Amino acid sequence: MKASEFKDLLVKALGQENGPEEASRIIREAGVSYGFSDRFSDNILDKIYNPVSVRVREVEFVRNLTLAFYRIALTGVAAIVLLLISIFLMEGSLSFDSFIGLSDTYDESIFYLLTGN
Amino acid sequence: MIMESYRHKDENELVTASLNGDKNAFGEIVKRYQGMVARTVKGMLGDSVFSEDIGQEVFIKLYYSLSEFRGEAKLSTYIQKIAVNLTLNEIKRRKRFFTMFSQTGNNEMHEYDVADHSSEEKNEATEIVGKALKRMDPKFRIIVTMRMMQGYSTKETAEILDLPLGTVLSRLSRAQGQLKEILKKL
Repeated sequence: MKASEFKDLLVKALGQENGPEEASRIIREAGVSYGFSDRFSDNILDKIYNPVSVRVREVEFVRNLTLAFYRIALTGVAAIVLLLISIFLMEGSLSFDSFIGLSDTYDESIFYLLTGN
Repeated sequence: MIMESYRHKDENELVTASLNGDKNAFGEIVKRYQGMVARTVKGMLGDSVFSEDIGQEVFIKLYYSLSEFRGEAKLSTYIQKIAVNLTLNEIKRRKRFFTMFSQTGNNEMHEYDVADHSSEEKNEATEIVGKALKRMDPKFRIIVTMRMMQGYSTKETAEILDLPLGTVLSRLSRAQGQLKEILKKL
């Protein structure tokens, strides 16, 4: 059955008194079907009867996530240390102002920057 | 591998065997009703990987509530009720998510834009029905799914959805009108 033909039949059926039954028949005959993957049943049985294997996968995931976090965190810490060293070398101090880039800025210029006056 | 002998057992025998820890018996229940659950879940949520997860959740919930199944209603009705509840919960969850993050205020659709993972295998009619259902209001979509996709009577639909018969009838009438308009525009 062509798509346009199927649509027309369905629209026509929905206008009839026994619309739902007729539409249901057309849908069935057109081969409208939904299904799950081949592993669907096995996945369910695994989750119910072998929760340990599912738990192992969850633990593995958390472990990988923690490992990734440590790697990112260590890289971050190294970057911060390098930044602090470079600030110290350039500014000669490690004050909070120099850290956030305010060491060369005067109160007036901040006021001008914020208000535009 | 599910043994051949389970295919001939009735649902009460399968339930009893499942409650006694028989994995194959529960596997047979899954096999027997997964098509029905797929029609409900995929009809309501679309054919995405999320639907598969909800489908699995239906059977896992069934397993843990099997002891509450008294056999007064058919097992298929019991499973269908679980599928409907989980699907409607998922729609509510998506609605909350989209309301939180969307500024358009579009209340019509709350679907994740996920590519159909089995689009190559589907026939055109299935795609048309899927597209039309996606555009429907969920409260009408569920009626169409039950009546036209699953082939339940109005009375059975009312029982599964836990709605008065009159409400189902009026929603069915409006759902037919909405579906007709959507199909014309497709």
